[in-house]
Amino acid sequence: MRVTTFSLPPLPLSRRDVLIGSAAGLLLPSRAGAQTKLVIPEGNVAPLPIAIPNFLAGTPADGEVGAGIAGVITNNLKRSGLFAPIDPAAFIEKITDSDKSPQFQNWKTINAQALVTGRATRQGDGQLKAEFRLWDVASAQQLTGQQYVTSPEFWRRIAHIISDQIYERLTGDKGYFDSRVVFVDETGAKERRVKRLALMDQDGANVRYLTRGADLVLTPRFSPSTQEITYMEFGQGDPRVYLFNIETGQREIVGNFPGMSFAPRFSPDGQRVIMSLQQGGNSNLFVMDLRSKSTTRLTDTPAIDTSPSYSPDGTRICFESDRGGKPQIYVMPAAGGPAQRISFSKDDSNGSYSTPVWSPRGDYIAFTKQGSGQFSIGIMKPDGSGERILTSGFHNEGPTFAPNGRVVMFFRDPGGNSGPSLFTVDISGRNEQRVPTPGFASDPAWSPLLS
Amino acid sequence: MKVDKTLVASVALHVLVIGWGLISFSARSLEAPPPESMPVDIISADQLSKMTAGIKTGEKDKPKPMVEKVADQRPAEDAIGKITEKKEIVTASAPEPPPKPVEKPVEKKPDPPKPVAENKPKDEPKVEKKPDPPKEDPIAEALKSEQAKKPPPKPEAKAAPPQPPKPKQERVFDQSKIAALLDKRDPTRQAITGATLNSSASLGTTRGTAATLSQSELDAMRARLANLWKVQPGVEHPEELFVTVRIRLNPDRRLAGPPQIVSTGNSPRYQAAAEAAVRAVLEGQPYTMLRDETYDQWKYMDIDFDPKQMFRS
Repeated sequence: MRVTTFSLPPLPLSRRDVLIGSAAGLLLPSRAGAQTKLVIPEGNVAPLPIAIPNFLAGTPADGEVGAGIAGVITNNLKRSGLFAPIDPAAFIEKITDSDKSPQFQNWKTINAQALVTGRATRQGDGQLKAEFRLWDVASAQQLTGQQYVTSPEFWRRIAHIISDQIYERLTGDKGYFDSRVVFVDETGAKERRVKRLALMDQDGANVRYLTRGADLVLTPRFSPSTQEITYMEFGQGDPRVYLFNIETGQREIVGNFPGMSFAPRFSPDGQRVIMSLQQGGNSNLFVMDLRSKSTTRLTDTPAIDTSPSYSPDGTRICFESDRGGKPQIYVMPAAGGPAQRISFSKDDSNGSYSTPVWSPRGDYIAFTKQGSGQFSIGIMKPDGSGERILTSGFHNEGPTFAPNGRVVMFFRDPGGNSGPSLFTVDISGRNEQRVPTPGFASDPAWSPLLS
Repeated sequence: MKVDKTLVASVALHVLVIGWGLISFSARSLEAPPPESMPVDIISADQLSKMTAGIKTGEKDKPKPMVEKVADQRPAEDAIGKITEKKEIVTASAPEPPPKPVEKPVEKKPDPPKPVAENKPKDEPKVEKKPDPPKEDPIAEALKSEQAKKPPPKPEAKAAPPQPPKPKQERVFDQSKIAALLDKRDPTRQAITGATLNSSASLGTTRGTAATLSQSELDAMRARLANLWKVQPGVEHPEELFVTVRIRLNPDRRLAGPPQIVSTGNSPRYQAAAEAAVRAVLEGQPYTMLRDETYDQWKYMDIDFDPKQMFRS
């Protein structure tokens, strides 16, 4: 799909605002001395109240799309835990023209700190034009404004892009809403579970099934281009690493190795796939160049080395190895070489660490920790310090980072006869949310931002 | 069966007494009126000195007058005389009226040619609070003049408690000087003395009553801003998000202009943090906890928003 973007200039201020602004500028000298200092060492950790009225309909037929866009934005921002969308029932003012400044007093009254207004218009050529403005209510200013033109069926995508704009402008961090998640969809009884590869938007919408469920699939991973997925499939004989093109539906085996290959992952440039190859009772890490098909061995140990993941700059690799007896996390240069163990259980659970994955921001490595009969999801810095457990329970596994590195998705199996489902949690450990999926779901992998 | 009358009497009496007690004592429950709550600031000696300090430019070596109120100085019984203006003791910080020569204490003369009350209105404007000219400390002055003229008991009314006559000297009684010892002034009354001592301290400001913003005012403002300052959960590297906002307030406790960011930073995260701080400052107005008397102190303020302590990992 194609999205055309151009930014909306700030609205011209009314003459009164201009007068107030210029007068205030004159009145406010930078006086250095004789000032009282007040230090506020603590704030209110609270989501930002934001008002998102339905987008206006450019033509009478666009009312549904306008309401839909506002609904998707509201849901995205609410799920992030950083925003508190205000119930539209509380709104005092009805926005009638998105090209005019709203009456900020009306939004102050309902304690909104930010306001999003917008309009969706079906144009003569059949394209959908969506425009929005983000307002700071307290200072009565436009913070940002954009308009997008695309095919009408991609209105959800537009809503995600606008959500990212709002998120980025108000938090200073990159957004992650315009992204997708590939996961393993599980249906059927526990003994005869059908596992299919599935793809959906990060909010659970637009689920597509990529495989038919005849063969068992595991550990899907996105390429940086988001058009390809690599995963492991139990076909005839040994499990193999496959490449799957989302657009064309084509799939191919990566390399031709004796024995099984598993735990694949793309390099940050998308040109290589790193994976584990089985050699007898051991397994070692190999990297294969997708163009030249040349394979390089990275480790050579009498142990099981698996779950490799590149750092975002591509210079280092973290992986899991039981060379020290129990599975632990190691870091080594991307070309191979001496590996350094970074995971050390601080408590007396003597836990083991597995499934490391490097954050796209580079600042953390997420892992699954097993100990004291519990599976926990946690993060640590690449040097092994600052370990933080985000969630803990009967079975949590398979962390994957959102494109901005602030949210981790994983799957949780409560045990018994039910099955696993997907959850997200902030890297601070707050705001755990279930991700809606049609059935049971496991092994999620978050895509990079689509745009 | 025979009933002992004394027993009956005893029982009856007990019932009576206990019954009366039940009724009379149960009528009213003890009530402790809730004590009026009192704001308490725990402040250090340093803060105390700040709260009582005056302007920095005050003269340090200027001794404070000891008292302003006259002790035990009874006015004359018959109030036929004029009421004299109460004179304020002049201190360094008070503006000095230029025209008056320094050494002309009106009341210092032991026997002024004219009654004091007539003398004064000429010299002084009607303003009651106008400080009078003498620059030197009245007590030192009084002591000096007393040494010069021992015999007459000081008529100086205000600056010092009545001086007891020196016993050794008074033994000598000279009848020929009785006339000189008599107070020839008309009986006068003093204007009412103030309830407070030292209404203008030598190092104080002209505005007087409170020198600095009290801690409770600042605390109230800090609490208000802390409540309004919305901080994102899970912030990484909070030390990069330190924001200082400079504001100017009008006497109506509202902002005189848009808040200024005086700290620097250029990341998008910093910009978002700065906007959140400005939002809190804008939402906080009017700052009703600030008192009119301290306007000079809260007219300009620098407010530091420092999230470092909130996110220690």
